[in-house]
Formats: sequence, C-alpha cells, structure tokens
Amino acid sequence: MHCNDHHHENKNYSRRDFLTKTSLGLGALSLGSMISPVNAYGQSEFLNLLDSEKMKLPHFVPKAKRVIYLFQSGAPSQLDLFDYKPKLNEMFGKEVPKSIIGEQRLTGMSSGQNSFPMAGSLFQFNQHGQSGAWMSELMPYTSKIVDDLCFIKSMYTDAINHDPAMTMIQTGSELPGRPSIGSWLSYGLGTDNKNLPEFVVLVTKGKNGQPLYSRLWGNGFLPSQHQGVQFRSGKDAVLYLDNPPGVSSGIREEQLKSLEKLQRIQHADIGDPEILTKISNYEMAYRMQTSVPEVMDVSDEPEYIFDLYGEDSKNPGTFAANCLLARKLVEKDVKFIQLYHRGWDQHGNLPKDIKKQAKETDQATAALIQDLKQRGLLEDTLVIWGGEFGRTNYSQGMLKPDNYGRDHHPRCFTIFMAGAGVKKGITIGATDDFGYNIAERPVHVHDFQATLMHLLGIDHEKLTFKFQGRRYRLTDVHGNVVKEVLA
Amino acid sequence: MLTEFLDFLGSLHPLIVHLPIGIILLTIAIDVFMRNKNNSVHRVITMGWFFTFFTGLLAALFGWFLGDNGYYFESQINIHRWSGIALVSLSFIIWVLRYINFRFSKPFNRSLNLTTIILLMVTGHFGGEMTHGQNYLFENLPYIEKEISLVKLSEAKRSKADSLMVYEDLIHPILEEKCMACHNQNHAHGRLNMSAFESMVKGGNSGAGIKKGKPYESLIYKRVSFPHDHPKFMPPAGVPLSYDQIATLEWWIDNGAEKQIPVTSVRNDAKIQRMIEMQYGLDLKEKTFLETLKLASPSPERLNSIQGEKYFFRYLNPEQSFMDLKFTKKEIKTKDLINIQKVKKNIVWLNLMDCMLKDDHLSYLNDFPNLTRLKIQKNPLITNKGIEALKNLENLSELNLYGTQVSDAALITLGQIQSLKKLFLWNTRITPQAIADFKAQHPDIEIVAGL
Repeated sequence: MHCNDHHHENKNYSRRDFLTKTSLGLGALSLGSMISPVNAYGQSEFLNLLDSEKMKLPHFVPKAKRVIYLFQSGAPSQLDLFDYKPKLNEMFGKEVPKSIIGEQRLTGMSSGQNSFPMAGSLFQFNQHGQSGAWMSELMPYTSKIVDDLCFIKSMYTDAINHDPAMTMIQTGSELPGRPSIGSWLSYGLGTDNKNLPEFVVLVTKGKNGQPLYSRLWGNGFLPSQHQGVQFRSGKDAVLYLDNPPGVSSGIREEQLKSLEKLQRIQHADIGDPEILTKISNYEMAYRMQTSVPEVMDVSDEPEYIFDLYGEDSKNPGTFAANCLLARKLVEKDVKFIQLYHRGWDQHGNLPKDIKKQAKETDQATAALIQDLKQRGLLEDTLVIWGGEFGRTNYSQGMLKPDNYGRDHHPRCFTIFMAGAGVKKGITIGATDDFGYNIAERPVHVHDFQATLMHLLGIDHEKLTFKFQGRRYRLTDVHGNVVKEVLA
Repeated sequence: MLTEFLDFLGSLHPLIVHLPIGIILLTIAIDVFMRNKNNSVHRVITMGWFFTFFTGLLAALFGWFLGDNGYYFESQINIHRWSGIALVSLSFIIWVLRYINFRFSKPFNRSLNLTTIILLMVTGHFGGEMTHGQNYLFENLPYIEKEISLVKLSEAKRSKADSLMVYEDLIHPILEEKCMACHNQNHAHGRLNMSAFESMVKGGNSGAGIKKGKPYESLIYKRVSFPHDHPKFMPPAGVPLSYDQIATLEWWIDNGAEKQIPVTSVRNDAKIQRMIEMQYGLDLKEKTFLETLKLASPSPERLNSIQGEKYFFRYLNPEQSFMDLKFTKKEIKTKDLINIQKVKKNIVWLNLMDCMLKDDHLSYLNDFPNLTRLKIQKNPLITNKGIEALKNLENLSELNLYGTQVSDAALITLGQIQSLKKLFLWNTRITPQAIADFKAQHPDIEIVAGL
C-alpha cells in the first residue's frame, strides 16, 4: 500500500480505514464467480459489510425466478378496461357526489372545472371464463385468459402526477434517486445467466406521451452494474456494443484484459467499488457481443408464434415484438424484463384513443402469457400488467354522449398479474359503486412491491442497502405482503 | 351456609390485601426517612407495624378461604400463600419487639425492613400471576415478543403440527386450566369429572357433558358460553374462557367431539384454522415437500464436480442446501451427468432443456431423491424409452417434456409417478385423446399441452 497525496484532502474517511476494509474482499474476488454476487462481490461493497442479512438470500424458496413487467405508462383507464361500474352509466352526466370525492386533491387540469359529470364507460363489459371476471370489449384476447390472471382492483398510490407516481411504483419513492425494482432484484439475487444483464428494458418505439427517464430503470445508490440495460429495436440493440471497424474480437479481448489490470491497480490504490463495477460492465459488454444478437434474432420463430402475438410482432420495437423478445429473454433466464408502453394518458378523446392503445397491447399480452404457459415458463415467471395510477370517474372537460376524458386518479386503479406463485382466476379488492374509492382490501404500491419481492423469495424488510448513513429498502418503511395473492 | 359465607369472605381478599401493603410501605418509609425520631414518631412506627399485622392477618385469612374454594390449583397458590403467612408472622414479631421496647441495632432494623419488603414483593408478585396470568410482569415491555398463546404448546409440539390432536392438545389443556380445579377425580363438583375424556362426555348431575355433533345441546359448551352474569355461567370465578377457546370447543363438538380428531382437520374451516394458528402460534397450512425437507449444504468436494462454465446453479434457501441447477451448453455428455449426480441429493430443480439430451442420459437421473422440478424440454432425441428412468423420482411434481418425441405410451410410465402435479406436453407426439384419458384417470395432474 502506498500513499497518494490527494487522499489526505479527504479528512472524513481515513485512508487506512478505507484500505483495510476494502482490501478484505479483494482476495475473494474473481470475475468468473458471479454465481452469488453476494459472496463473491459483496465484501468489496465496503458500506455494506455489515449487511449480513443479504448473505442469506433468498430468504425462502422462491415461487418466481423471473419477472416480466408490462408497464403501461400514462395510466390506463381502469373504468374502461377492467373495473365495471354500471352505476356510472346509470348516472351518466350527473355530478359526482361531494361525499365521494371528499378531501381528494385534484390535478390542476380538472380542479378548476365547475362540474364533475360522471362518465360511464362507453364500452361493453362482459364476464369471462370460469372465474367470471368482468372485462371490457377493448381487451378481447386478454378476456379469453382471465382464468390465468389475478386482478387487483384496489391498488392505490400517493402521487397524482405521472413522474412521481411512476418513480413511486418503480422505485418505492416519489423522489428520484432510489434503485428500481429490477436493480434491487439484480443486487439481491444476482444473475442466472452471466452472458446477459439481469435487468433488461424494452420500450415500445414511436409512442408519444409522458416521457420516460432512464432513471426509472436506474440503479440509484446501488453499484451501477445493477442498472437496467435498454435493448433497442433495430441494428444496434445495445448501443456501442460492437467493436469499432478494424478491431477484431481477439484484439478487443486483449485490450480489455490490459484495461482490467490497470483498473485493478487503480482499485487497490483508491478502493472505489465503482471501479469493480466498471470491470464487470466491460466483461458483460464483451460477452453481450455474442449473446445479444443471438437473443434478438427472431428468425427461428415459427409463423404460428408470430400469429399468436399478432402482426405487429414482426415489426421490431412494437409492443408485440417486445413481448416476443421478453419471452426469449425469459428463456435465457434474464431476471427482470421491464417493458414500457406509453400513450395511456387520455385526458380527452378517451374512447377513441384507448381503442388504439388496447389494440396495441391486448393480443400480445395474452399471447405472451399463453406462450409462457405452454412452454412451462409461467411456472417460474411472474407477468405484471399495469400503470402508475388510475383515472377519474368524472369527465375531464366536456362530457358528451360519445366522448369524454379522464383525469389522473391515485385513489384506485387496477393491475393484473399471472404466473409463478400467484392465484389464478381471482380478483382481489374492489372499488365502490362510483369507482372512485376503494371499498375492499386496499393494496398500496408498497404492498404490491412487497408481494413481488416475496414471490421471488425475498423478505422485503430484509433486503437493504446502507447509503448516506441509513439502510434503504425498496419499500422504505412500508409495505405488507398481500397474502391473498399467493397461491 | 358456612361454606358460602367463607366463600364470601374469600372474595374480600383482593379488597383487604392492599391495606397491609400500603401500611408496610408507609411505616418503613417513616422509619427510614425520618431522622431524629422522638418518642411519638416511634409510637407511630409501632402502631404501623400493628396495623400491618392486623390487616395482613385478615388478608391472609380471607386469602386462605379464597384458595380453599377450589378455583385455583395448589401449585399456583403455594408460594403466595406461605410467603403471605411469613409476612404476617414477621410483622407480628416486629410489632411485639417494638411494643416491649426491644433495642434494635441499626443493621438489625435495616435487615428486618429489607426482609419485609422482599417478602412483600414475592407475595405480591405471585398473587399478581394468579389474577393477571403467568407473564403479566413483562408482557407489556417494549421489545418483548408478545406471548399470543393463552394455553401453551411446547416448541416440540408446535413443530409437529401434523400430529397434534384437537382433544389432547387443544381442548384438554383449556379444560384443565379453566375447569378441572373443581371438576376432577377427587373433587368432582356436581359429580362432573372432566379430567378423563369418557367421564367428561358422560357429564354429572345436570346431564351429559357433551352431545357429539351438537354443541348447543352440550352442557359444557352451554355453561361456558352463557352471559357472564348468568347464575350457571362457568367458570364461576377467575378468567372465563376466551372467545377463541369457546369457538375451538364449539368447532370440536360440532365435528363429532371424538378423541382422535387431528388438528389439521381444521383446514375445513378457514376461520377456525386462522383462530387456532393465531392462538397457538401454529402453522396449519398444508406443506409442500420442500417445506418439510431438511438438508445439509453439499460438501466442497461435491461442489467441485459442478464447477466451471457448463453448470450454473443457485441456492433456493438461506441454508444453502436446495440447488437449482442448469446445464448451460448446447450439448450434454455422459460425464456431465455423472458430475451432476455428485450433488443429486441437493438438486431440487434441474434444467437440462435444449442440450441434445438422449434417452441413455436419463438413466443417470433415476435416483435424485429430492428433485421436484425437471425441465428436459426441447430435446428432440428423448423418447418413451428414456422416460422409463424417471418413474423412480419419488418427489417429482413438475415435468416439462415439450418438444420431445414422447408418445402416448409415455403417459403410462408418467402415471406411476405418485407425486406428479404438472406435466408439460406441448409439441410432443402425445395425442389429445390420450391426454383426455390420462386426465380422467389422474384428475389431480394438470396437463399443459399447447393452446
């Protein structure tokens, strides 16, 4: 150990402490052994040396090994898709009773309205399957598989605007800066396939609506190898992955090896754990040069599979194509696959716009679940479909017999899940007759997150990371597992 | 008449008992804190000891009557009774010594005061245990795990919930605590002896104790569920049966009131199951094989055989003994299977999909005792012949065969696997008719064979 002058500037953390702690883990470190990053790598995360709970992962035998989260950004209207409220049709155009709205804060977009006319859905609802789940005509394909689904109709959240609400459901906090669900899982459970990232993000191309920020799949304060990696449609699925022209694979490998040596010297010198992350990122990138093109290639898929997912599935970057890709990634044991589909934020013209949205997602969602099922993958894969909050029962703007809009509504919304460890053909929770408040079994976003972790074998109260003097977890200080969901 | 009067006096015990407590403390306080005592102070102290003795004597006497009426077990009262009597005797001696102006040395006086206080605390504590329950003292401390169970089950019994009996482990202890002080072999009030099953069912002077299947006609159930001010309400003194205990009793009688009903049969009633789970800290949920399996981690030598890029595994439990293993390469060889065999005890999930697995290879999988999930899909060389080897996997619950060449005859082999719950047969040669027949024969096995 030698001494660098610039370290003396940092009076808060003694160099000696630093090196003693970080060098402990170095001996055990080997790049190849990523079986359990907790054992191989956890030691070097000097801030978390004491987090012995993490060593015992998973906390119990998991039901799910992987998650596909079909995130519907913009907040789909539960009242036009799943949550059947004939009362709203009966009272179409009448004011929402004051007692129902209560103290609810409204967004600036509709709080100035003189009138809050109730807007019953223009779409036909029917019961489906043996479970008798109500579904609107907008989702004909999903309607056919309701007996495989678990609906939660009593979800609620704290935030009323998109960005905080999305940040909330993805990271457990309205404020940016916390790790995303997928990052927590990557940190806690490690990889099942070291040739691909644990956390992959697929965004539907060409959609407008609420912006998506990469921090939604960010690692927050966790080491950066746990961040989500976005796979794009088109030639370069992962940016800057290919070798520059004229550089062969052999040269590249040699170059990376030399670079690693330099990085190790640097790490021994200043002990920044992010240097190790960097090494593993380079390694991952190198391996992905072959694994990514392989997994992105759908030319082997038979025609009937494309038929199943719908015609969009042949057009890379669409929701359907991403669903098909998600299945391929699941087959490769990628742990967390996050899809984003934007455009559900229908403040006006809802009946027209939601049709288009539903058409884009319905068939592929149902196809994905069925395809996973026939391959036996639904046994250990959890599929989630849902947005960040719900939409109001009253019309934003003028209510017409054939047109309305709906504003943001955090008090209730619907999501559905399918697969590993989740009960089939069941609906949990209910809203009141006006579809405004929860009448039965409220499920907070943190409860949903706790349940998700539980299905993966994690006690959400035990998976923590110490940062800035305190231990953080996905659910912060909240969250209860929704036992009713568990099969 | 006399007994009733004595019972009445007994019930005055809690009222009287706090008088000597207060007087002792006040007397000792005066003795300790007043310096330069003149004669009248000394007289006050002597008087204090007299009143301590006098009220203490009454309390002890009433306490004796209360203890004698049979609502408490001797084992519960013993220490309380005798330390109380010692306290009264001690206060009598101190009073007499003070009265005859015996000269106390300072240390002697201090030790007398101290002994009195200690005796007072002991007596008070055991009295408190009787009225407020065994662990009243610490139960409300923060950070103390609250004892939920009113009637305790030993840790050993709790861990074997499957072998518990409703009567022996739940009902009998409740009756023992609440009823048997008065209704036992030697002391059968109303000629009812509840200490044995048969005599309890038979009942006493008022009629049959229990009518099997009819809780509302069973005297024992009726008496404990009366309004508390009903003259026939039982138990007449002490803490009544809790709501949960009464409900447990009701459920048991309703379900036949047999001696040999296992506790697990409460699974027929979610409400009572939850109630009993909470009350006794039990987990009565039906356990899967893995939930009951206890295994040690594989030894380093055994682990050595599956090192390297070809094999990937992770542990599924914090004890690091259940392994989920997959083969990562495109083509598996016999020696790979021999390597995997080295950790066969620990493998609970095994994934050998899409790796050119052959029929011969499967014979290496025939004795994986804890394997519950086997994925050998997308191996087009697998036929019925290979499947034969799998019928010895006695804990296999899930088998994925999609994309193999198995045909209808394989179902006969698969039907022999008793533990099988799920079967994936998409893209095989198995016909829909064979699946329909198999489903009829094995309604518990779920088959997924495509859309």
